[in-house]
Amino acid sequence: MTRYIIRRVLQAIPLLFLISIALFVLMQNVGDPLATMGGRTVTRAADRERLTRQLGLDKPVYLQYLYWLVGNDWTKVDLDGDGVSETPGTRKGVLRGDFGMSLVKRGVPATVVIWERLPNTLLLMLTAEVVIVLGALAIGIYSALRQYSLLDNLMTAASFVGFSMPIFFIALAVIYIFSVYFKRWGLPYLPAGGMFDPQVGKTPWQVALHMVLPVTSISVISLATYSRYIRSTMLEVLGQDYIRTARSKGLPKRDIVFVHALKNASLPIVTVIGLDLPLLLGGAVVTERIFAWPGMGRLFLDHLERGDTSVVMGILMLIAVAVVLFQLLTDIAYAWLDPRIRYQ
Amino acid sequence: MQARKWFVFVFVVSSLILSSCGGGGAAGNNKIATFIFTQEFDTLNPLYTNMWFASITFQIWNCWAWNFDDQNNPVPVLVKEMPSMQNGGISADGRVITMKLRDDIVWSDGQKITSEDFKFTFDMNINPKNAVATTFPYDKIKSIETPDAQTVVMTFDEPYAAWMGTLWHGILPAHILQPVFEKEGTLDNAEWNHAPTVGCGPFVFKEWESGSFARFVANNKYWLGKPKLGEIFIRFVPDDAAQIAALVNGEGDLGTFFANSDVPTLEGAGVQVYRVYSGYNEGVYFFLHPEKSHPAVRDVRVRKAIVMAIDRASFAKQVLLDLTKPAVTDWDNMLYVDPSLQPYPYDPEAAKKLLDEAGWQDSNGDGVRDKDGVELVLKYGTTTREVRKNMQAVAQEQLAQVGIKVELYNYPSDQFFAGYDEGGPAAHGDLDMFEYSATPQFPDPDVADWLCNNIPSDENPSGSNWSAICDPELDALFQLQATQVDFAARQQTFYKITKYIYDQVYWFGLWQDPDLWGVNKRLVNVKLSGATPFFNIAEWDLVK
Repeated sequence: MTRYIIRRVLQAIPLLFLISIALFVLMQNVGDPLATMGGRTVTRAADRERLTRQLGLDKPVYLQYLYWLVGNDWTKVDLDGDGVSETPGTRKGVLRGDFGMSLVKRGVPATVVIWERLPNTLLLMLTAEVVIVLGALAIGIYSALRQYSLLDNLMTAASFVGFSMPIFFIALAVIYIFSVYFKRWGLPYLPAGGMFDPQVGKTPWQVALHMVLPVTSISVISLATYSRYIRSTMLEVLGQDYIRTARSKGLPKRDIVFVHALKNASLPIVTVIGLDLPLLLGGAVVTERIFAWPGMGRLFLDHLERGDTSVVMGILMLIAVAVVLFQLLTDIAYAWLDPRIRYQ
Repeated sequence: MQARKWFVFVFVVSSLILSSCGGGGAAGNNKIATFIFTQEFDTLNPLYTNMWFASITFQIWNCWAWNFDDQNNPVPVLVKEMPSMQNGGISADGRVITMKLRDDIVWSDGQKITSEDFKFTFDMNINPKNAVATTFPYDKIKSIETPDAQTVVMTFDEPYAAWMGTLWHGILPAHILQPVFEKEGTLDNAEWNHAPTVGCGPFVFKEWESGSFARFVANNKYWLGKPKLGEIFIRFVPDDAAQIAALVNGEGDLGTFFANSDVPTLEGAGVQVYRVYSGYNEGVYFFLHPEKSHPAVRDVRVRKAIVMAIDRASFAKQVLLDLTKPAVTDWDNMLYVDPSLQPYPYDPEAAKKLLDEAGWQDSNGDGVRDKDGVELVLKYGTTTREVRKNMQAVAQEQLAQVGIKVELYNYPSDQFFAGYDEGGPAAHGDLDMFEYSATPQFPDPDVADWLCNNIPSDENPSGSNWSAICDPELDALFQLQATQVDFAARQQTFYKITKYIYDQVYWFGLWQDPDLWGVNKRLVNVKLSGATPFFNIAEWDLVK
């Protein structure tokens, strides 16, 4: 197993390298970091020319990528536009841990910009993931055990309704119902957005209160998907011979369902969760935007629109590394769940 | 299994605590006004940003040398009085401007604000080691002298008429940033840019959490009096509908940048809506290149017929909910418009007569006028903004009724506003009519979009005269106003400019496009200015 893990990690290095090239080239065609620097007026041509030079955007794409990867402290740059490179470069490059400075949040390292948002996203998304998995397990297992019962049919219908609704609609609906109208009707109401009430301060209780609506919105759609998935895999496993044997041996129903059936039904579910987990780092773009939650999804969108290569590449590479890592962890989880699986 | 449950529990709880460790604490009976901003500022260093949401905060924590009130009159902040020829602040030839600073002005840390801070701000702006957002207008200053701590003398190569509307939009504390520049060789990465704990406004920067909020607390050392509010809390809410919800349920005291269609909802919830003019007037430009343009639009009678065939007043009333009215000039709601000008009336019959006179008639019976074998078919382009698309649809239908066929084009903003060298459709002359609104250096009227030497071409790809108009009479008037430091003389020149453009129909207005602000009733004493919205924020107060 150790050799397998080492081999997978080594295989990931050229893969990540290729991904970084592809993403960097694609980034050159997204947004114009200088377009918005003029504020309410178009950026002056003289300023555009100067900033293009000062920010290193005048270099060909291969050289920009090289500076991003290995830095430019081995060469000099022309800051004053006289055609002579006189100022030593200061960038160290990604390979030495320097992802560059943000072009939007000027003068702040991309890693700092990303790190400021990461805990918020993890808090929101992992909480939602826990709600989704626990809720889906409860619904999925119940529906499989009580197939075609009234509750199963109700939950199936609810799943399809949840799955059919776009996230922005759910988010705005819960804001207006539980925040605006509840307040208007004199009922206890939930906050519409942000992480805390400034009159109270940023306490754990305030943050938890402000998470209720965004977590609910995120959970509704995924809960529907996951519960349908669990229901179908559980139904399949419950029909297997070894489950019938377990029943005939007189094992308690709880052991049959949770030890024998669920563990074997978990393999495909683990695959789905393994694919979903790294994407949680990317945050929930729409939900974060509507609930003003300061997470990675909003960060990605805001900086992508303005062509902030350093930050966007940082986020994308973080997700790429996480995908590789979680795929490896998923494979290891397979072996734990099913002892028949062996990696050479 | 038990261990995993505990792991999840501990993780969630610790994340919750970690996430809530960012500060943001508030306390007790402090009067906190919550502003909703749909965009987060990029930096707070005035030299490094032109972003509107950043620059409007300068009246909160930084300071301009002078603000503009709700009537767009200058209000001295750092200077004793506005420089003028009468008080000797402006030299007879208009090239030297002398500012006399107040002697009671101090930074929030108690250090005196002196002429050295102005000199330092100027030096940092033009130093190539600083990648500032723009060197304008400081690159127009030839030199700055500081004969004493309260005197700043600026010398220009040419008289610079737009000085009042463009200079000293925020200053830097030399005693904080000079050592940073000396150590790092640039201000690009200064911590002060994102945490300007020393400022000169009625409030002092306290905290900025990326993507979430920024806090500014009352500055006890503010020389124009301690503000009535204890704190300004700015929450970043990027979604328009969420902003409206926050204003309606009282979570926000002030918001801006919402659509006309949101006004009834806000007013229904008791939110006061302010319409503040900041120089934006939606209008249509014609492409008038002497060789490349459509022959019809080169004739002023055709241009006049086009504007008279479009019912702009009804559009403002019905589509824009009667919250605005047709613009007469590109400078409406400024002090520089000939007061005799009125919007062209909606008169399709008169439009038809003008087209007949110009020789454009439907000779082949296809419903579209033509002349010398050329059909009167015009390309009309703008962005994908919904209200603009609505305007296009109305214009297309109404122009068809007078025999003008219009083909509509819509582009994403970045494509539409792209310059000549980037293949922008308006800059490149691909459109006969193009619609947008732009503002000058409000409240100053100076623009360079009508100058002959600003027509974009292969040799001049950065030119901003996308109409490609080169009218010597108009060009001379624009050149003249740019050097007139005397307000009255310049105003008269602009009267001529606005009248000339109006008569020639080089541009026609569709609607005035003010900034909309929503203010909850508990926030009182609010006045808003187009140039410096928060000019009297020290007087704002919260009532129950």
